[in-house]
Amino acid sequence: MGLIEFTTKNVELQVDAKDWEEAVRKSVSILEKNNHVNTEYVEHIIQNIDEYGPYILIHPGLAIPHSRPENGVNRIGFSLLTLSTPVYFSGSDNSVEVLISFSAVDNRNHLEIIKMIVDIVEHGLIEKLPDVHSIHELNELMEEVTFSE
Amino acid sequence: MIKILMVCGAGLGSSFAMEMAVESVVKEIGLDASLDHTDISSASGVQADIVIAANNFEDQVKRYGMNSHLIFLNNLIDKKEIKEKLVPVLEENNYI
Repeated sequence: MGLIEFTTKNVELQVDAKDWEEAVRKSVSILEKNNHVNTEYVEHIIQNIDEYGPYILIHPGLAIPHSRPENGVNRIGFSLLTLSTPVYFSGSDNSVEVLISFSAVDNRNHLEIIKMIVDIVEHGLIEKLPDVHSIHELNELMEEVTFSE
Repeated sequence: MIKILMVCGAGLGSSFAMEMAVESVVKEIGLDASLDHTDISSASGVQADIVIAANNFEDQVKRYGMNSHLIFLNNLIDKKEIKEKLVPVLEENNYI
């Protein structure tokens, strides 16, 4: 599972964000920093949310900012960001404290990342992640998840 | 074989995650199904027996007038909700 690793490079914990947009920007900026996407990517995401609603909300507490490959993706990657205070998206009553941004190069090759997201949700970790304070603690928690083959 | 298509805006995040949750449900109930996911603008060109999408795409999916059974979800990867909504459609149409 070379792709699925949680390190200081792709994880930021207990981050402050005043609203959903700042949260999304901070989350996607980790992908930018790691050269997974260029600076256009986040603008497409924000624009899509403004236009179509919060399509990145797939489970209470979790947002998965992403867009199409042609909107600024360099290569497949993901980031994990947790917030010190939850944010709300208009059009949803659920607060969000965990953001997993990702980039994809087509419709299918980021399978491992989607599996990881589904596994995290199914193991009830979205509720636990906001209380995690270190990468070490995070990796201990993730050991509970046997990422699907 | 029954074909089930998961649909979302970008066609690679929510719909892909839904496909995985649906895959578990389908396995659990012992249904032989072909699963795929796509974005909403490509969806009308794909033949499927059942289309599953998020609630917030209901209007758009209906506007495409897809000739499929439509299911809309609140929680996209909640297997319980998927099962509750999918099984009746499968039964009504004699897929199971």
